[in-house]
Amino acid sequence: MSLGIAGMGWVTPLGSSLAGVWERLLGGDKAAVEAISSPLGPACNVLPVPAGATAQAPTHPRLRRSSVISRFAAVAGLAALEDAKLQLDADTAARTALVFAVSNGGVIYTRRFYHDIVESGSQAASPLLFPETVFNAPASHLAAILGISGASYTLVGDGAVGILALKMAEDLMRNETFDHCLVVGAEEADWLLCDAYRKWRLLRSAPPIEPFQTPPRGTILSEGAGAILLSRNGSIQLEKIAAGTNFWRQREAGDAVQKIFAELCQAETDLVVASANGTFVDAAEHAAIKRNCPGSKVLAIKGALGESVGASSLWQTICGAQSLRTQLVPADLLYREKGKASPPAGQLRHAVVSVCGLNQQVAGLRLAKN
Amino acid sequence: MPEISPKNRPADTARVAVVATGIVSPLGFGLGETFTALREGRDCVSPVTRFSVEHCRCKTAGQVSDVRLTRAGEPQLRSERLHRVAQMMILALGEALAQAPGFQPELSVVGTTSGGMTFGEEYYRGLKGSRVSTRSAASLIANYTPQKPVMDAQEAFGLSAPCQIIANACASGTNAIGHAFECVRSGRYQRVLTGGYDALSELVFVGFDSLQASTPERCRPFDRERSGLVLGEGAAILLLENFDSARDRGAKIVAEITGYGLSTDNHHLTQPNPSGSGPRQAMEGALQSAGIAAAEIDYINAHGTATPFNDAAEGKAIAELFDGVAVSSTKGMMGHSLGAAGAIEAVISVLALQNQFLPPNINFRNGDAGLDLNIIEKNSQPGRLRSVLSNSFGFGGTNASVIIRAIKG
Repeated sequence: MSLGIAGMGWVTPLGSSLAGVWERLLGGDKAAVEAISSPLGPACNVLPVPAGATAQAPTHPRLRRSSVISRFAAVAGLAALEDAKLQLDADTAARTALVFAVSNGGVIYTRRFYHDIVESGSQAASPLLFPETVFNAPASHLAAILGISGASYTLVGDGAVGILALKMAEDLMRNETFDHCLVVGAEEADWLLCDAYRKWRLLRSAPPIEPFQTPPRGTILSEGAGAILLSRNGSIQLEKIAAGTNFWRQREAGDAVQKIFAELCQAETDLVVASANGTFVDAAEHAAIKRNCPGSKVLAIKGALGESVGASSLWQTICGAQSLRTQLVPADLLYREKGKASPPAGQLRHAVVSVCGLNQQVAGLRLAKN
Repeated sequence: MPEISPKNRPADTARVAVVATGIVSPLGFGLGETFTALREGRDCVSPVTRFSVEHCRCKTAGQVSDVRLTRAGEPQLRSERLHRVAQMMILALGEALAQAPGFQPELSVVGTTSGGMTFGEEYYRGLKGSRVSTRSAASLIANYTPQKPVMDAQEAFGLSAPCQIIANACASGTNAIGHAFECVRSGRYQRVLTGGYDALSELVFVGFDSLQASTPERCRPFDRERSGLVLGEGAAILLLENFDSARDRGAKIVAEITGYGLSTDNHHLTQPNPSGSGPRQAMEGALQSAGIAAAEIDYINAHGTATPFNDAAEGKAIAELFDGVAVSSTKGMMGHSLGAAGAIEAVISVLALQNQFLPPNINFRNGDAGLDLNIIEKNSQPGRLRSVLSNSFGFGGTNASVIIRAIKG
């Protein structure tokens, strides 16, 4: 079965226009950090979505009380449909599936909801907040906005969850019931996440994020959403999706990533869009790239966009597809080749997206330009 | 009653066998205890002991015994880092694998709503200084994530299948089974591990209490005076395999999954469309997927949470689609285990088919006026079951139904 990318959209710390953010990445822009205060410790730096980036969010009643993660998802999802020039009516919505990928989910409302319980007792718990803490609340809002009344799935996982969602979409598209599948990954930043990742020894306090550095100095969390509309055709094909594997201890990450690369890099690979984020997973990915596709260009976008966990692998896939579409690569984000000119037209035909999550999940996919 | 036109299963699709199941729930540890509790209509709801419910309306839940969990004999369960829901998963998977030795899944599709949420709670309370954390913060963070119990269970048995963890609220377990079914049916996968899990947590318990969705009284699904749900917990596993492959290798096939339907009800984030259109669409989809008529369903294990709106919508849809089919919700016995519920109830459905009995809907007295449902009241009953339909519906408007068929002989 042929599976292609029909449309893409994103909300990132560099904005929410597909072409605009891509231009900024090509121009060498990196998202600016902003300190968010924590009531329980030092302030932490994150890469937030700028306020104007969700200005075009629909004025749907479902978004009135929702957390920002749902707004990110709505803006990205609608942008992907617009990019594909697909307008959903009752018939097309019935033939469109939604697969939502998330890692931390609606952490802001969850933290607020539980904070009230801890501080003031269960009688203070808000019935307005609780439904928004449920992992599938953003997917439910997006389905309501789009009028999708059939298949809607929310997948949870670590940074690999976006690829796992694309894999699930591929499986769903085997069913002739569906013409399209919209895959959305989203995440929102909060001080509680920063505290957790800091205690997990995965964060650094200030930029830059240095992918593939030894020793790893940590990453910076970001937020936003990525959306990819799949159809049975499209100028960018998903040639292969490696459903992933798991590792149990950090030292086993290398074998798990190697397995993914061995599966995806059997044919010529021009570009690897890496998940390197300045943490322990970079070494595993680096070794696998060196062994399986040593001649490929390696793009590490988290140096500019940060680690948004549930959204990141969708962003990586969008960057891979944009590289193939535009035949340009953000030179400043190329590992080992910083400052070199972007490749001339016609050289990029295949890209591999790899993800080594921070909590034991590994996955990847291979894109091809038609 | 409207006709669902039977359509034959498409010729290019595979049959899907259930080759093993495993379960841990308030009803008991394992299939044997679960069957006994179901047959006896045992009420396994008890006062909550895990956290303070002093200021909650509801003070009861279906609970899995910690003492039994840690004494269950599996050496893998003794790790300090494991969340108790991971322990439940290990026990359920262990029971299933004991029936299907050497089963190597190519994919795991499992449902949950909140995974190891209590580790997150412990972490947050540690930050606030109101409770000293007994584990390191890093361990709590690494092990609270919702996908972790599946990874832990796989690790315990040396499995490394990719994990798709579905979090479709209370429909998660049935959505997981349904998607796993479609993966095998499509021919893309030969063997898929599926199921669901969830453990009681303060955050979720208080959340349902804040919505006044949980009851201070007994849980009475489909009763006219029902006043809400009680929560539960547990884990259940089903091992699915291409039917021909399982038969050819001489595996014991305990049941066959034949249909799956789902829908998304956009009426409201937490309330179903009162017309019952969401549940109806899911059940119609399952019947069409199975290629059978409504009259071929002999029992429905209903979602039946005992909330006024949910039971009214589901009951209306069942009454419109089916003609006197036997219906029960088993949540009155064990509570609503959220992401685990669909998997637990699928295993209960398999037990009902294997043992040809109808599990009871305990605490039921009188049905809604004008709603003619054939509720299996109070006690289990013998039955002649060919196919069973199991429903799960959740927040976000997620609705899912699966159909499971008996294996003759």
